[in-house]
Amino acid sequence: MVVTARPATPAETRDADVRRRPLRRRTRWIGLGFAALPLAVYGLVVLVPLAQSVQYSFYKWDGVSASTFVGLDNYRSFVTDPVLRSTLGHVLVLIGFFALLPIVLGLLSAALLTRAKQPGMAVYRWIFFLPQVMTSVVIALVFKRIYAPDGPLNTALRAVGLDSLAKTWLGDFTWALPALGLIGTWVTFGFCMVLFISGTSAIAPELYEAARIDGAGPVREFFAVTLPGLRGQLAVALTLTITAALRTFDLVWITTHGGPGTSTLTPAVALYKAAFQNPQVGLAAAIGVVMAALCLVIAVVITRVSERD
Amino acid sequence: MRFHKAGVAAAVALSLAACSPGSGSTDKTDAPSTVSTDVAKAGNVTLKLTDFWGAAEGEWIKSVITGFQTKYPNVKIARTTEDWGQLNSTLNLQLQDDSGPDIATANNGWQSLGTLAKGNLVLNLDAYAKAYGWDKKVPTTITRQNTFTTDFKTMGSGSWFSTPMARTSLIGLYYNADKLKKLGINPPTSLDELEADAAKAKAAGEVPFEYGSLDGSTTVLLGLQALLADKKKLNDYIYGDSTVKATDVAMTDAITLTKKWADEGFFPPKFNGIDYQTAVANFVGGKGVFRWEYTGSLGLNAQQQGHFGYIQLPQKSSSGTVGVGAAPGAMVISAKSKHPDVAAAFLDYLMSPEAGQMAADKGLVPAMSPDVKVPASSLSLTGESAGAATLDKNDGYVPYFDWSSPTMLDTLGQNLQLVYAGKMTPDKFTAAVDKDRDTFLAGQG
Repeated sequence: MVVTARPATPAETRDADVRRRPLRRRTRWIGLGFAALPLAVYGLVVLVPLAQSVQYSFYKWDGVSASTFVGLDNYRSFVTDPVLRSTLGHVLVLIGFFALLPIVLGLLSAALLTRAKQPGMAVYRWIFFLPQVMTSVVIALVFKRIYAPDGPLNTALRAVGLDSLAKTWLGDFTWALPALGLIGTWVTFGFCMVLFISGTSAIAPELYEAARIDGAGPVREFFAVTLPGLRGQLAVALTLTITAALRTFDLVWITTHGGPGTSTLTPAVALYKAAFQNPQVGLAAAIGVVMAALCLVIAVVITRVSERD
Repeated sequence: MRFHKAGVAAAVALSLAACSPGSGSTDKTDAPSTVSTDVAKAGNVTLKLTDFWGAAEGEWIKSVITGFQTKYPNVKIARTTEDWGQLNSTLNLQLQDDSGPDIATANNGWQSLGTLAKGNLVLNLDAYAKAYGWDKKVPTTITRQNTFTTDFKTMGSGSWFSTPMARTSLIGLYYNADKLKKLGINPPTSLDELEADAAKAKAAGEVPFEYGSLDGSTTVLLGLQALLADKKKLNDYIYGDSTVKATDVAMTDAITLTKKWADEGFFPPKFNGIDYQTAVANFVGGKGVFRWEYTGSLGLNAQQQGHFGYIQLPQKSSSGTVGVGAAPGAMVISAKSKHPDVAAAFLDYLMSPEAGQMAADKGLVPAMSPDVKVPASSLSLTGESAGAATLDKNDGYVPYFDWSSPTMLDTLGQNLQLVYAGKMTPDKFTAAVDKDRDTFLAGQG
């Protein structure tokens, strides 16, 4: 989008076109030639299955025998089916635990860790980043143990006399979802922190000096210098953690299978059940398409907002 | 931007060009009309068998094959084994292949066997059933598990499309023999006795039933339902007779009793946080007195088998014994097999008392083998084998409840957790079960 101060006269535009067109066209075709193979592969492994998924989502199909066209019925179940509808609510809660909480904690710890150089900083970073490199299945199994009725968490609560707080975390209708969410917080927190620490070190020290000369305290400094300087990192952290929350599957599958009742069912688990356990391939495709669309919209919105000056 | 549009256009074009999913058709095959049971006359034949049996079950099928080959030296059976999930998901493709297996293990129910029969991939076995007299040999309640009507709208009646074997997998009550002895309790012989024993165990500070509901385990509920429900109605309900409702098959009574046990503290404390694997490990490790379980799922070793017993309780109304059970696989003959007569003879051999004895020798539960000899040192296998014999005699099998609809297992598990938490009444539970099945039946058309 080019904004010109003065509208060009028709003659000028034609002149410019005549001069530029051959060159521009040639480079475009050469570029396309280079991109042809990757584009073909991309089309084959991404676009074709995507189109198929979209197609399936309009059918009622058991995966084997003949299918029937049902229009938007599969999408309508997000409204009509209270269980499927509730999965969207669960995802909102998970976004709070997977994205918002780790980012707030990450900012706080980044601000604290970068204010003064302490010995052993790298060790902290390493420890907090560790969950990010661990396999999610391992993490889920470890936390299943921790949350067990006689697991370390309840034992610890009882040891300090908080017996009344000990509960079956993953079997409790109220606590199962937050308990799962906190696992997510633990996993993504280190990632956010490391991202923000590296971002903070890239902020020009002069800005901090200027702020201090103007009489800013640590809090003011954080909001006036650090936070605006981390806009790019914030966008990355938000996009990755929110889409991770939307796609939550392994954590739930290994710990609760979506239970108790359906209180921890996420769209990804509902998709898996529909696709591979119950023969509702059309519904599974519709859930997948909705999830992909949500991820895309969120990514676009975050990029747009963060890049606006 | 233009490339994006092109991509979308291409994608749309592709999806329009493709026909609707799953519209491929298969040829219609009829039941063989003239069949022979004379295997020796068939000449040298090699049959391909694909099954999903490993460990002790794998050892069993190997000895059955050896037995059959000794009986008919002109037949050779080439066996391939695949992981259960793997075979289930690829069997329909394997059976469409000209060089695919002659005989294979499928799964009962609509998901696997029903789809294969509907797609004409497996033979209608009626002629063989007649020739070998399977109708007399096999309990009717087991026969029904292998039949579909030829319009493929109904399961549980019509033609044979698979056969069971001289083995079974049941839901029943296991007990810790050492604990019972210590508590001075004899193994219960009725539901009332069981409840009294459980109360006694509770009073002595033991956990009566080792169990966890974290992943929605339904064995207690389904085990109890078989003791409370009318056998025929329960079978009809699962096979999709829409005139029978869940209230007619004691679903409300079973869930009410299960909830009562939970409230009386018959289950371990905080059982809602215990998962299936942990509960099994706890029971085998010596926690709890009783446990409702599928046979073969506790993984008892030879030494442990002497310390755990098994009981197939009779019905509360004392109208015989009814239990949840099915053969651990449905044997099918490929429609493409060139030697269906020989394959059928092997299927018949799988149902023979010889095959049953081989099962018992490998520590597996034998069925349809009234004179089977079980090692006395194995308390659990003695009980399991007696349970199967009683069910054979009473013709008292009911299929797994989740055959009634593909989503049933989820529905039971989720709503069971709601009932335990007091968030759902037994009546609502039963209504949810009906809704699940009726929705599925409506979709079947």
